[in-house]
Amino acid sequence: MNQNNFTSLRQLKKVFFDERTTRGFISFLSDRAKVIAPCKKGENSYSFEYIQNPDEVVFDYPRTIQPLKKFFLPPRETLFNFNTRENSFSEPDIESEDRIFFGVHAYELQGLLRLDHCFEEGHPEYNYLRRRENTLFIGISYTPDDWHFSRSVGIEIEKLEGFCLYFEPLDSGFLVFIVNEAGKNLVELFGKGAEIDNDENFALVEKNFRVKIKFHHNRLPQVFENVYYSKVWEEISRKCLGCGTCNLLCPTCYCFDVRDEIELDATTGKRERFWDGCMLNSFALVAGGENFRDPLSSRTRHRLHRKFKYLADSAGDLFCVGCGRCSKYCPAKINIIDIINDLIGDFAGQQKRVLI
Amino acid sequence: MSKPKVAFFDFASCEGCQLNKLNLENSLLSILELVDIVEFREAMDDRADEYDIAFVEGSISTPTCVERIHDIRRRSKILVALGACAVQGGINALRNSQPAEWVKEVVYGDDKYLFPSIPVQPVSAVVKVDYEVRGCPMSTPEFLHILKSLILGRKPEIFDHAVCVECKSSENECVLETGMFCLGPVTRAGCGAVCPENGQYCSGCRGYVSNINTDGALEMLAENGLSRLEAVKRLRLFCSSELVELDGVK
Amino acid sequence: MEVETIVTEKKELYTPTISEIVAVETLTETEKLFEIALPGGEMLNHKPGQFVEVSIFGFGEAPISICSSPTDLPTFKLTVRRVGRLTAGMHRLKEGDRLGIRGPFGNGFDVEAFKGRDVLFVAGGIGLAPLKSLIDYTLAKRDEFRRVIIVYGTKNPAEILFKQDIEIWQQDRDIEFHMTVDRADAGWQGNTGVITTLIPGLNLDAPETAVAVVGPPVMYKFVLMSLKSKRIPDENIFMSLERRMKCGVGKCGHCQINSVYVCQCGPVFNYPFVRSLEEAI
Repeated sequence: MNQNNFTSLRQLKKVFFDERTTRGFISFLSDRAKVIAPCKKGENSYSFEYIQNPDEVVFDYPRTIQPLKKFFLPPRETLFNFNTRENSFSEPDIESEDRIFFGVHAYELQGLLRLDHCFEEGHPEYNYLRRRENTLFIGISYTPDDWHFSRSVGIEIEKLEGFCLYFEPLDSGFLVFIVNEAGKNLVELFGKGAEIDNDENFALVEKNFRVKIKFHHNRLPQVFENVYYSKVWEEISRKCLGCGTCNLLCPTCYCFDVRDEIELDATTGKRERFWDGCMLNSFALVAGGENFRDPLSSRTRHRLHRKFKYLADSAGDLFCVGCGRCSKYCPAKINIIDIINDLIGDFAGQQKRVLI
Repeated sequence: MSKPKVAFFDFASCEGCQLNKLNLENSLLSILELVDIVEFREAMDDRADEYDIAFVEGSISTPTCVERIHDIRRRSKILVALGACAVQGGINALRNSQPAEWVKEVVYGDDKYLFPSIPVQPVSAVVKVDYEVRGCPMSTPEFLHILKSLILGRKPEIFDHAVCVECKSSENECVLETGMFCLGPVTRAGCGAVCPENGQYCSGCRGYVSNINTDGALEMLAENGLSRLEAVKRLRLFCSSELVELDGVK
Repeated sequence: MEVETIVTEKKELYTPTISEIVAVETLTETEKLFEIALPGGEMLNHKPGQFVEVSIFGFGEAPISICSSPTDLPTFKLTVRRVGRLTAGMHRLKEGDRLGIRGPFGNGFDVEAFKGRDVLFVAGGIGLAPLKSLIDYTLAKRDEFRRVIIVYGTKNPAEILFKQDIEIWQQDRDIEFHMTVDRADAGWQGNTGVITTLIPGLNLDAPETAVAVVGPPVMYKFVLMSLKSKRIPDENIFMSLERRMKCGVGKCGHCQINSVYVCQCGPVFNYPFVRSLEEAI
């Protein structure tokens, strides 16, 4: 199947950028829009940041701590400012600025496309969609580590949907595939880089995922249809600390809470929304004291059903993109791959019993 | 509307929380416009008989403390415990795990008979506490949130989720990635994840989420290379009044 | 610029309409009834069973069921139990004060399913409030319905809501009204016992009875069992489920029951659908 991906890449027009040209290209982009790209964060981590200097950009990185959603659904956002005495309010303007996201992995953009669905359907949400305007995405290939499993959820490393350009690293630089008209315009205006007629000199290296889900992704909703009462949920909850890291880092988690904070003048204040998560204690708690999803086992079950069943059923795509963040950063070392494969084991066992 | 009368009291503590309030700087003048501070030993001498809000710092560690806190409770409409000592017993309560006589000997030597003491308790073990500002020192944003809420007459919104929520929202590098251990996954948020934000592990000074998975936390700390005894010591450093199920772990 | 230019149309999802409290009535020690007018005489246009998000700046926002019938124009009413941050704030408001309203939200009672049939209302505690919008609607269009039977239970006599309405219902020969309290006090002369004790004694034309049930979460299982033993078909039963409805527009995630957002598909559900949701009751 990887063959096919390279086939689709090979059909695209491409140019060659060496590393210096690539950084020059980022400078060129910075003249035209705000550029966001992966940068080093701390000792061993990465994050998407607004780029001041092209030398900050990291091309080869496993994943950033936060996915792209922070640029569209900020962790903390003022919905409006109010005045308690006058009972009045005013909404802050949401600027729609031209933004180019450079160096994005395919699963990352797939996560964002899924968020688009959630904020467009039903009641479209202005705040999100406004920030989503006027954005371009430039993809880059990556080498899967111990936590990536995108292929298992149907997202190949070279999935091009949503990108205008796609960077495939070679020893000496990058093959830059031109995915659409916007990408073509950028490369033409930049005017540097060597045009490539054929790619015979470039051997595209197939990359393997180290971890995978035992079943084809098409079968996962069926598995989830049958494992609601699995003992796996209880087993995970023995290790789970309920810290919510998995929610907070997930590219397709978007639940939020809203709170009012008043200023020290005791008159003005703001209504703010914050990221929330279904793993957290007060998520399903109502004022009367009833917590409708109290045990941690039921919270993990809900979180995974949202990814593999509930949202998948309504949107038509799995809502897990295989980035591996929930596992890589889980302080209790719970791995989503293990959970799913255990559930598959459970499901397969049920099927066997039915046959007997 | 007359300004609410607010008082600050301290018990066994380092008084760091009170200093933390004085460090509010920019906000301090605005606060003074909203409330009448009638008692604040670190800053003034005035006294009053009744308080709308009493903020109490420190833990209860002597028979005199017990009498005094009862008296404060009687005279206060709302009582707020400030900081780890008042809320969980704090560092002071570590002495509860040692023989009382030996502790007195070490601290007071020959004068030990002059200082009657009782096992260290959080304020809530002696009188009803309405609200808590956790942390060592107490978190000033949380203090301000509670103060503003009470002035407005609304119930403050206090989190019952882990520091990880704030840490991940700020996209800090996870300290576990740098080879440290961290109590953030089980410690109550509200501090803005200030320690991990500065590259330090969370030492649990704010106490734990209400549904702490103690076995899970011990397992996590074991994975991070802590012996069981070390892990228990870390978990109980600020919180010996919580996690009593870990009493006697050697 | 090469970036494709898109302009998003702005629709207000999260901003309230500042509305005025035109009357406040104390119902019990913990419940008050608020009558609210939207600005400019605008109508809320709600269906019985729907809710609004009420906000007071500085206090936040909370979902409250509408307890008046859409036939009672032009204002609407909310019964508010003092139980959380927002509701405690509401209880301090007086006639002439203002608050924010968003909505109406959700799926109300399908009144067509009740028309031409016997109608049984089962209300537990504060559950009478959301049901009252449907009761009043039914009574306003009385000849479109057959029998009207109201079964109401509270924990104790002090928690009884809408005492004036109840007096009228008790005297109206066109309404069969039954009530009980879990625990009686010295002055109580009526039935004592949980609400399900009232159901076995009802004489019902089961296939032609439509039932509306609203009460605390623990109540549903037992009421449903009682209705089952009266042979009421599941599809005749409608119920309103409580969840933490925060945004009201199917975004924030708090009210989800399995795959369903209560603020969108509920709070009123038909029982066969509820049965398909493991987390519902």
